[in-house]
Amino acid sequence: MGDVLFLVLRRLRVPLITLLVVYAVSVAGLVAIPGVDGDGRPWRMGYFHALYVMSYTATTIGFGEIPYPFTDAQRLWVTVAIYLSVIGWAYTLGSVFALSQDPTFRAAASRSLFLRRVARLREPYCVICGYGRSGTEIARALDDLRVRLVIVESDPTRVASIAVQPFSVAPLVLVADARRPEVLRDAGIAKAECRAVLAMTGDDEANQTIAIGTRVLDPNTQVIARVVDPVMHANLAEFGGVHVINPFHTFALNVGLDFAAPAVLQLEEWLTCAPGADRPEPLRLPRGHWVLAGYGRFGRPLAAALGASGQSWQAFDPHFVPPDEAEDRVHARGGTEDGLRAAGIERAVGVIAGTDSDTVNLAVVKMARRANPAAAVIVRRNKAYNQALIEAAEPTLTFVQSDLMLHEVLQSLTTPLLERFLELARRDGGVLAREACDRLDAAFGARVPGVWTFDCDPAQPGIRQALSEGGTPLRVGELLLDPRDPAVRLAAVPLMLSRAAPSGRPTDTGRPQRWLPPGSRARAVEAPGAGVLDRAGTGLPESGRGASIALPPESTVLAPGDRVLFAGAPGVEALQRRFLLDPSPIEFVRTGVEPARGWLFRRLAARARPRT
Amino acid sequence: MNLEKVVFGFFIILACTLNFGFFIGDIERIDLHHPGELFAAVAVNLVALVLKFGDRTHIGATHLATGLAACLQLLAAALVWTWDAYVAQNAMTPATMSTIVSLSGGALLANLISVTLLIGETLRASR
Repeated sequence: MGDVLFLVLRRLRVPLITLLVVYAVSVAGLVAIPGVDGDGRPWRMGYFHALYVMSYTATTIGFGEIPYPFTDAQRLWVTVAIYLSVIGWAYTLGSVFALSQDPTFRAAASRSLFLRRVARLREPYCVICGYGRSGTEIARALDDLRVRLVIVESDPTRVASIAVQPFSVAPLVLVADARRPEVLRDAGIAKAECRAVLAMTGDDEANQTIAIGTRVLDPNTQVIARVVDPVMHANLAEFGGVHVINPFHTFALNVGLDFAAPAVLQLEEWLTCAPGADRPEPLRLPRGHWVLAGYGRFGRPLAAALGASGQSWQAFDPHFVPPDEAEDRVHARGGTEDGLRAAGIERAVGVIAGTDSDTVNLAVVKMARRANPAAAVIVRRNKAYNQALIEAAEPTLTFVQSDLMLHEVLQSLTTPLLERFLELARRDGGVLAREACDRLDAAFGARVPGVWTFDCDPAQPGIRQALSEGGTPLRVGELLLDPRDPAVRLAAVPLMLSRAAPSGRPTDTGRPQRWLPPGSRARAVEAPGAGVLDRAGTGLPESGRGASIALPPESTVLAPGDRVLFAGAPGVEALQRRFLLDPSPIEFVRTGVEPARGWLFRRLAARARPRT
Repeated sequence: MNLEKVVFGFFIILACTLNFGFFIGDIERIDLHHPGELFAAVAVNLVALVLKFGDRTHIGATHLATGLAACLQLLAAALVWTWDAYVAQNAMTPATMSTIVSLSGGALLANLISVTLLIGETLRASR
């Protein structure tokens, strides 16, 4: 605000002084020139009347000659004054309009407005840096979850597109380069209400800079960065605290997982699909020889994943530069058809069309189908508007970077514990995943459950007693009973118990985790792009967290600060929430008797108990 | 020699001297305080105020503050006079005149501070 005011004052200094001088001279002249009153006696105009006359004359309102008709000398002077003042006003107003159109001034003014709005934000919000394809998808999905957004984007045309998009709450937008720390600070990343910073620009280097800048400026803010380059990925992992999502890497890991541990992949899909949908069937990509069209940032990790899971592969990429360890497997010469043939399309079980051109990818699919109709086809879609074309080719699997990013980001924002659970399942290599799948199967059959976190927050009135020392310990199993009728079990599976870190902080970040509305994941995952083959990324270090117990037994005693990840049928989360709000449900499921609530009846119950 | 400094200094000092000229004289003597001088003081003080706009240094901010104080006091004095003469239609009394002159005395103090700042700044940056 101060900046803009000072800018205005400095730029309007000359016009304002001109106007002041014109007024001063005109008024002084009017006072100095002798006049006559109504009876023809000599009379001099006072300063007040002179200023009044000048004010309406200069602004061309023209009330006439008051309080008495002017003498010719006065009229002469007023004529001069009229021209002087009109010029003065024209100059001043012209300067004001010129200033309001000045790009520098407009930038300063909009920045100042943005700063004030960010400072006024009193609800949780996310900062999205980069409004490209991923940024757009994520912004729309978060807006559906009623999360306030602050968007930083350096391209003015993209920023202009935000204004015409149907946001339920208009995001705060800043046109600036988010790599600069002061821009990050202006975007409010250090405020307590800022829950996450999403570095989603198309440039790895920029995302790395944003992520590191955010970590340095405010270590408590959750940072999610999209980084494709393996070196920068490693850098950020080393730096710590940044959740790196590498869409190509993630996709390749999923493909590898489908070969190596299908149960893990199935568990992931099961838990991350839209609740209520049918259980996704395992993909079961065929084993054997694979042909890759395109051996770049998308193809390389895929080839590595195929190789690691024991599949043979060959690739075709006309832009391939020979000094490379995979030299003997990548064909660079000839046209696409020759290249695919050289890579062994006839004997392949699958083809991956992974170039960065949708047209080339479609051509690859067509050629591959002609040469080998039985082959499975994985296609990479680059442009959103090519969706219809790619779908018409009926691929086995489609990779869409922005969809995958959206899914990953939402998962880590809405249910961070689920991500940690899936990470455990992945590390475990299959036993845990199979066990979890069996339990889910027993509880829900072929449906997709909702996933939520139950916070053992000692501040909640319902469980304060049970969590305090001396109270009857609260067990996981008790949370699985219907608070309306303890004979009925809730259709829920405890997936993981996260014990608070020894420092006593209940969460990774020290901030309350439940800032998205209950049941938000349900809506979030229904957002476009709940991909089949998505997978939690890595990046957050294990250190600094408490212990995590996967599939805790029902006899496990809960401690204050524990967080339990549940998967359950629709509505179960709301029923379980009753345990938090008031202590009677806990008592009721333990004893089967509705406890007395009022003081008198509690006393009566206490007196009655020893007798019985 | 810097023309900006000349203009700036000129208006600051002129604002102060005009203010002083109006203020000087027995506070109750009507004929010793001319309305033209008050008008000139108000006009020049306003110009000086605008000249002080836009300087973002600390001393610039203090300059601006003294200018605002002086203009406020002088405008109050002019307003009292206008009200008394045109709205209330009283003949000027020594009591009213002393109110007006004492208001302008306050403005004079602010203007003196402003001049002191100007001198201090000049001495500090003597080259």
